Amino acid sequence: MSDDREKMLLDPGFELTLRPMRYPSFYDRYRDAIKNTWTVEEVDLHSDVADLAKLSEGERHMIGRLVAFFATGDSIVANNVVLSLYKHINSPEARLYLSRQLFEEAVHVQFYLTLLDTYLPDPEDRNAAFAAVENIPSIHQKAQFCFKYMNAVDHIDSLQSKEDRRAFLLNLICFAACVEGLFFYGAFAYVYWFRSRGLLHGLATGTNWVFRDESMHMDFAFSVVDTVREEEPDLFDDEMAKQVTEMLEEAVEAELQFAQDLCGEGLPGMNTASMREYLQAVADQRLARLGLPIRYGSANPFGFMELQNVQELTNFFERRVSAYQVAVEGSVSFDDEF
Amino acid sequence: MTTAASATLPAQGSGTAFTDPTVTDPGGALLRLLTDRSADLPEVDPGHVAAAALRGRHAGSDFAELRGLAVDAAASMIAEDPQYSKLAARLLALEIVDEANSQGSTSFSASIAVGHTEGLIGDTTAEFVAKHAAALDALIDTAGDDRFEYFGLRTVQSRYLLRHPITRKVIETPQHFLLRVACGLAVGDNEQSVREVAELYGLMSRLEYLTSSPTLFNSGTRHPQMSSCYLLDSPLDNLDSIYNRYAQIARLSKHAGGIGLSYSRIRSRGSLIRGTNGKSNGIVPFLRTLDSSVAAVNQGGRRKGAACVYLETWHADIEEFLELRDNTGEEARRTHNLNLAHWIPDEFMRRVNANEDWSLFSPADVPELVDLWGADFDEAYRKAELAGKAVRTIPAQTLYARMMRTLAQTGNGWMTFKDASNRAANQTALPGRTVHSSNLCTEILEVTDDSETAVCNLGSVNLGAHVALDARADDLINAMDWERLDATVRTAVTFLDRVVDINFYPTTEAGTSNSRWRPVGLGVMGLQDVFFKLRIDFDSADAARLSTLIAERIMLTAYERSADLAEQLGRHEAYGETRAARGELHIDHFPTAAPQWADRWTALRARIAETGLRNSLLLAIAPTATIASIAGVYECIEPQVSNLFKRETLSGEFLQVNPYLVRELKELGVWDQQTRDSLRDANGSVQDLNWLPAEVRSLYRTAWELPQRALIDLAAARMPYLDQSQSLNLFMAAPTIGKLSSMYAYAWKVGLKTTYYLRSRPATRIAQAAPGAARAAAPVPVNTPTLTPEQEAALACSLENPESCEACQ
Repeated sequence: MSDDREKMLLDPGFELTLRPMRYPSFYDRYRDAIKNTWTVEEVDLHSDVADLAKLSEGERHMIGRLVAFFATGDSIVANNVVLSLYKHINSPEARLYLSRQLFEEAVHVQFYLTLLDTYLPDPEDRNAAFAAVENIPSIHQKAQFCFKYMNAVDHIDSLQSKEDRRAFLLNLICFAACVEGLFFYGAFAYVYWFRSRGLLHGLATGTNWVFRDESMHMDFAFSVVDTVREEEPDLFDDEMAKQVTEMLEEAVEAELQFAQDLCGEGLPGMNTASMREYLQAVADQRLARLGLPIRYGSANPFGFMELQNVQELTNFFERRVSAYQVAVEGSVSFDDEF
Repeated sequence: MTTAASATLPAQGSGTAFTDPTVTDPGGALLRLLTDRSADLPEVDPGHVAAAALRGRHAGSDFAELRGLAVDAAASMIAEDPQYSKLAARLLALEIVDEANSQGSTSFSASIAVGHTEGLIGDTTAEFVAKHAAALDALIDTAGDDRFEYFGLRTVQSRYLLRHPITRKVIETPQHFLLRVACGLAVGDNEQSVREVAELYGLMSRLEYLTSSPTLFNSGTRHPQMSSCYLLDSPLDNLDSIYNRYAQIARLSKHAGGIGLSYSRIRSRGSLIRGTNGKSNGIVPFLRTLDSSVAAVNQGGRRKGAACVYLETWHADIEEFLELRDNTGEEARRTHNLNLAHWIPDEFMRRVNANEDWSLFSPADVPELVDLWGADFDEAYRKAELAGKAVRTIPAQTLYARMMRTLAQTGNGWMTFKDASNRAANQTALPGRTVHSSNLCTEILEVTDDSETAVCNLGSVNLGAHVALDARADDLINAMDWERLDATVRTAVTFLDRVVDINFYPTTEAGTSNSRWRPVGLGVMGLQDVFFKLRIDFDSADAARLSTLIAERIMLTAYERSADLAEQLGRHEAYGETRAARGELHIDHFPTAAPQWADRWTALRARIAETGLRNSLLLAIAPTATIASIAGVYECIEPQVSNLFKRETLSGEFLQVNPYLVRELKELGVWDQQTRDSLRDANGSVQDLNWLPAEVRSLYRTAWELPQRALIDLAAARMPYLDQSQSLNLFMAAPTIGKLSSMYAYAWKVGLKTTYYLRSRPATRIAQAAPGAARAAAPVPVNTPTLTPEQEAALACSLENPESCEACQ
């Protein structure tokens, strides 16, 4: 390397070199993600329609709001991948992963669009769902939160100064820890709450796969943070720690006012108080992952979210197994160990 | 105020004291109920459950709702201690009994009367129950419900109990349900009939034996379709026959039967159609229609229809067939609802082994191949090749590799072997009688043709419930309570045989076949439980020996019983056309088999020569997914999949923890938070829990950690004693073409008739949603994908990552 210092991940530019590979773990993530390919056509929504008819008024309200959130949430994330992450993370391996992430976001958008068309037969209702970002205050507030951190990097063409880099890191952490890692985790909790009561299996199936993808996105973003921290430890000062903690507090509040809208007076096993503990526990986990002190010390009250961590064994009569890998290698042999 | 609520509960009461509307303190009432119902469960903390339930309450929550929340709360704590499963089940049982009472089902006979009035229960059963009401009501085992674990009872409640057509409330309790199933299979109308019913009900109530799901669903109802499996021959190579098959399949599916269907007679793509002078589009468009049809017909509202299509390996559309379940490519050529299986002739496997070419044909050019097997097939196949009839020829290994790839990618494209399936089959004694496919779960092997749809009624013995009281691993021959197992098998066969007569047949082709052959499929569940109880490793010589002894004993007794039934009720109609009628029993095709009970075999042969048999086939090991969870044991002959896993079903998600492991760890004094967390973090594996003794880690290996060769060897060893086949899943966390091709070549070589799913694992795992509490402020690798050792080795060896390549150093 002729340069007087090592190249770094957030250096401005469009690095093209893949050999020798500087960030092989990003490339491995890209390949792993491909193995998790799924398509919207694999999700069977037929039993959901029958379930919708069985829901109470309060539950129907909750589903309406959820669909409205999902309809726009993944699009906002995709925009940020293009407008911020792809632009500034200067590693071709990482950009391979981000290209793949972008595809996954597109599949998620398609899934929730299909869901919306299935759940809301009336074209007027569909239009209203997409207008939710403007019209429904609880969703508007979450969108504003996202836009704030998008706007903060909007004017930055390249990350020249430390300040630029810090603004970018906040944008990256916002989308990983708060949008994908908290807003979506909030929404997943409602979906799995329905499923724990035997309802809306199609939604839960698609959400399983979305969940798996989102976990990977978040993990990728955090590993970018780890890398930058190694390369430029001075970016992570006390001010940054304070900003990240406040950002998560703000995200928890935004998600909580959404929860108040969704839960109203409360439904059996789901209410704003439990949701608060859950969101706080999730936020603590994000802070811990970022190497920051936890803020709340809350425990997850939702048994059905604990279940989400455990290996699934699907009875094939009932559900397509979501576990199969896509890529498989090798050639015919008769003496391999098995 | 509180005196009414604190009244002592009757031991088996329904808990209605607590639904008393005068109770003004539902929270306190809940805690008292929880305390009462966990009195004999020392590990359960009722306050903990009550607190979790109360957190979920909202304005207007009444006692019933709180009790429901307590069920969920207790269920979510099962991973902490399996005793919470018992508590959850007891609370749920109260809920069910209350609900049934509210519909007027206050006794068994009342529940049947309600069902009859509502048009659910058939007249014969209603009359039988009305006549013997007192005797039958007295049969109800009040301790019965307490034998269920939570998973089992929840499944029974959500899927099996009959519901009022309007209110959708259950109109039977779990015990009413099991007795209803038994009464639906009553023959005659006297005290003897009631005694027989009591026998079957007793077995089921003690969870020692369960009939298959369709029998549990439909016995005693107005449409008693009680068969699990239907096997249909390929439609003939014309449009009328193809569309006629759709209609047959829809009718069978509507009544909860799983379908196995061959498609090997349909001409391949590009074949000339003389009628229109056009070219055929092959099988794919027709399978698309079948796919939609299967999805449209839902099994009595309880589960989606399900079918498996079998194709012979020489069919020229085989490559498109292999792509039917891919999740990429043209949707018009995909069938996401159909399962796929290969019906493989030995000749193909021989050519794979020898790395030779393989010819593909259109059935229009070689219609004879479908009905031939063994040497006759080999000869006809080679003759067709020499005559230049092949559509094209490819290296056999190229096709084999694609079959392996499909298995790895979709778990589908099951490997089933045509010649092994026909060679030892009792029904193929006469030329032209051919087994054309297996069924949906690859355990049934019966002959079919255009006018005969094969049918099979299933039931499974819970082996875990037949381990001898003082069983020891060093005395395997006495490890099982053989006499009780014999008694169970005799009752099971008696009632399976009755299903043939009482069954409602959705098509005439099915009725015709079943009365001629009267095949039944008695299977097992809980083999893993037996090994855990005896502390035998799944891949040990002891496991192979015991598993084979069990198979032999069940076959012997089942055949003895079928001979008895033949004497009492007559041989099955087509007995004269079977190998058994020629003195040739299934075991004779396995010259290396060394039976333990030689004298009984000799006596059985003599007996069959005299009486004949009531049933052409008696045994088949089905997957038992749902009934094993009702019985609370591991599925059929399968090793455990994990020590801790989540099961998703239509009734929601459940967490299971291996109770044998927990008991053992408690004895060792290490069932603590560290072990629980580690078990969860390791995805239910104990291999890296190095504070456990080596023999414990060895015993509690999962299906992913056992050598698959052992599963295949166990399956091969029981083959002489299994006249049909077994649903044998194989497990490989990170499959490669090399490993898979070796594994399936081995399965063929040792003579397995069929294999079932290839199970593999997702490339990455979902991040932890939220652990109990964020554990520490230090950075935690929240969602590092959990990799198996093999995957880790592969990753470590990645050329992209040379520094970490330890595997190659």
